[in-house]
Amino acid sequence: MSRLPSTIRRRLGLAALAAGALALGGCAGQGPPPNIDLGAGPARAGTVKPDALKDVAMTFTSYGGAFQTGQMQGIVKPFGKLSGARILEDGPTEYAKIRAQVEADFVTWDVVDTDAVWSDGQCGKLLMPLDYSIIDASKVPEGQATRCSVPAMNYATVLTYDKTKFGGRTPQGWKDFYDVQRFPGKRAMFGGAGDAAPGDLEGALIADGVAPEDLYPLDVDRALRKLDTIRKHLVFWETGARSQQMLESGEVVMATVWSGRAYAAVKNGAKFEPVWNQFVPRREALVVPKGVRSPKASMALINYYLGREQQEKLTELTSYSPIHVDARPKVDRLLQSYVTTTPERQRQAIKVDSAWWAENQPAVIEKFTAWLAG
Amino acid sequence: MSVSASPPLPAAAAPPPGRTRRGLRNGSLFLPAAVLLAAFFLAPLAVMVVRAFTDPQTGLQNFSWFFGDAVQVDVLIRTFRTALIVTVVCALLAYPYAYLMTVVGPLGLAVLTLLVLVPFWTSLMVRTFAWVILLQDTGVVNDVLGFFGLGPVQLIRTTTGVVIGMSQILLPFMVMPLYAVMRGIDRRLLQASSGLGAKPLTTFVKVWLPLSLPGLAAGALMVFISSLGFYVTPALLGSPDTALVSQQIFTQVNGLLEWGRGGAMGVIVLVMTLVLLAVSAGALRLLGGQRPEGRA
Amino acid sequence: MSAPTVTDGATRASVPAAPRKPKRRVGRGLLWAFSALVAFWLVAPALVVIPLSFTDKQSLAFPPTGWSTRWYENFFSDPTWAASLWSSIQVGLLTTVVATVVGTAAALGLARLGPRGQTLARGALMAPIIVPVIVVAVGTYALFLRFRLLGTLPGFVAAHTVLALPFVIIPVSASLAGLDRRLQDAAAICGANRWAVLRQITLPLVAPGILSGALFAFVTSFDEVVISLFIQSPYLRTLPVQMYGSITRDTDPTIAAAATMILVITTSLVVVASAVALRRIKHAR
Repeated sequence: MSRLPSTIRRRLGLAALAAGALALGGCAGQGPPPNIDLGAGPARAGTVKPDALKDVAMTFTSYGGAFQTGQMQGIVKPFGKLSGARILEDGPTEYAKIRAQVEADFVTWDVVDTDAVWSDGQCGKLLMPLDYSIIDASKVPEGQATRCSVPAMNYATVLTYDKTKFGGRTPQGWKDFYDVQRFPGKRAMFGGAGDAAPGDLEGALIADGVAPEDLYPLDVDRALRKLDTIRKHLVFWETGARSQQMLESGEVVMATVWSGRAYAAVKNGAKFEPVWNQFVPRREALVVPKGVRSPKASMALINYYLGREQQEKLTELTSYSPIHVDARPKVDRLLQSYVTTTPERQRQAIKVDSAWWAENQPAVIEKFTAWLAG
Repeated sequence: MSVSASPPLPAAAAPPPGRTRRGLRNGSLFLPAAVLLAAFFLAPLAVMVVRAFTDPQTGLQNFSWFFGDAVQVDVLIRTFRTALIVTVVCALLAYPYAYLMTVVGPLGLAVLTLLVLVPFWTSLMVRTFAWVILLQDTGVVNDVLGFFGLGPVQLIRTTTGVVIGMSQILLPFMVMPLYAVMRGIDRRLLQASSGLGAKPLTTFVKVWLPLSLPGLAAGALMVFISSLGFYVTPALLGSPDTALVSQQIFTQVNGLLEWGRGGAMGVIVLVMTLVLLAVSAGALRLLGGQRPEGRA
Repeated sequence: MSAPTVTDGATRASVPAAPRKPKRRVGRGLLWAFSALVAFWLVAPALVVIPLSFTDKQSLAFPPTGWSTRWYENFFSDPTWAASLWSSIQVGLLTTVVATVVGTAAALGLARLGPRGQTLARGALMAPIIVPVIVVAVGTYALFLRFRLLGTLPGFVAAHTVLALPFVIIPVSASLAGLDRRLQDAAAICGANRWAVLRQITLPLVAPGILSGALFAFVTSFDEVVISLFIQSPYLRTLPVQMYGSITRDTDPTIAAAATMILVITTSLVVVASAVALRRIKHAR
């Protein structure tokens, strides 16, 4: 205790210096980038030259929880073992932290799992373009490998309904979500302030008569007006856990939820059933922040992540859908029916215009958040 | 050596001589807190306040954005209103409870203290989640109401639900300072009051209440101000249309990466609260002036 | 509400209890009933986690439909849970010590300032609970990133101490304000020096305030989520951060198991402490 004041005084000085350093735009805080030889020849997903990253320290960051545990066990740790890289993990992903790291030119996250719409919007701003001479994305589902990101996994925003509540009737699609006469009862949808993603707005427009191929550019105001028509029947969830609990407790008769949550709820005995007709495909992305110490190492990890074996393992460990078109994970029937990347499922999906979303997400978030609070 | 430094309330005697020298020494008592505050609170805050005026450009655009947006202003008003309701609910529940703590025997005191402290030790995250489970439409509270032929009542996702959860979590912050002050009240004053023929109610209003006021003020201050910054509980128990200002700031800072706006909102809340504090401090001083003379 | 019945402590002179009137007994009964309701409302909700922790499904549906102890096994077999509990206790205790000492000193200094200085200083010291914590969290992250304080014990303790200081200063100041200054004066007149007065008169009299301040400090640290979320690393992660990750990303009753164990441990600690205190009081009499 007696030494406390002196240390604190020193730290106060440091803090003042820090404010100055931040204002000036920062200085390089880490050593020179290590020299990395990843070998010759074209990249092949799921491989890395043994011991190519000896003594390189890398931090992989994701949203935490069981999914990150699966990512670490199924992919990232084996990568470390094979390549010799010293693997650290961090999480959950916070966008504000990425901004702080990039602005301070002090990037500690080498590969980050983020939402795909966000990453497309930040391409060239906070995130660096990927090097597709190191990353083999040939087996990634069409359109999912972009300039700054590859998919980390796939899922869906899907309409689900309580099969015990409507007699013999079964909802067929988005129109029925808005039909409170034939399908009376509370409906749940995502309602987190500060976020907006493909899903409910597209559904509202389809229910309002817009053809799926004419959805973009999204008429957000029209979608919100459509949502207004059932506002008093709506309840909102902000976390996946909450949505799953709503299904399990039977609080609502219909809900739009993430497919992984629907699966978990049904596995726990919820009497819900998804409507796959016109579901909205979603993905998380792997990205590399600008100014990362050794971009090559990050690219090598991403390339390894995309391998077929790795993806099968990931689905078996986490129940999320693989992002390798030939992946055939060994899972039970129920989970198999929730895999969104099979060709049959893909035919039922609507086409999301990722580029439109990437460009307009901040504006949509503002409108959606204001609508929620109003 | 005299220790009768200047009393906390201006109603009492004039400051004794020798104040300057003692002021210096009192300053040294203050120093560690000030240093900590500067390094780990003011410096990070300064980073964001600077942003409020410079991000994305230098100017007041973040403030004009806020006051030009009806939704943001609504949320700010709602935040202060919710905090006020929570404070009043806590005061009404805690006052009799704290009083009972001062008049029971040691065993009763131990039990009452235990009951206040036990929930205190359970994590806030867990208590909030427990409320989600209890308050939901198919939850235990509605089951009980249904048993008596009442309900179902919509509790979760309403301001009522938010107030129930927040008051329960903040109640100990009201009980403890109230008890600490009530315990120190000189009971002979009450004896004197009733001895002089005052009815119990008169004694309560004229003697007990003013004497317990510092505790009530301290508790109310803690509860009110903590309410303003609550994030987890309103996020989980409320709905988007009961959102409080912290949730909106989170949106701007973490979702939209609009640090300038987030910083500006922080500055606005800070300034408004400081004004409110100054006003209430003034009001308290007025009340303090009417204290019974017997004490000072 | 007038007849004093308890006369412990040095502040109060022994006054014989007034004979009880029936009306007063009714009043006391009502007071007990009201307080019992408040206590029930305080305690009962948290108890939901106990049955929930024994559910057999990976679900937080209540009431559970089957029973198992798998979430307890999970808590102990998954090192991140146990480690985060330990981190929280460490950070919490250190924060309590630092915040209580620094905060009590500040409150003593505060009580001796003039009215204007008091208002100013009080405002500055209260600031950490007024400013929405997310604003400070991002700024703290930027600074801690620079000075490699992310995920370090000193970093956590410093950040939590600043948040806890107001919760120490408020109750201690309240106790000081209710203090009978004549006691200090009397001690001084009897020749006690400044430190003796502080140690033998002031501190014992404001002890309840300090104690509740210490409790608040611990709980503030033990419950803090937002700043911790920003300054944590996988190598030092407090329990609320672990829970936050779990609640937002998983549906994992391990949370309920963790909460139940915390509940049981702390309840027994408080019960034992109270029993010891009670026995001491009895011996003293």
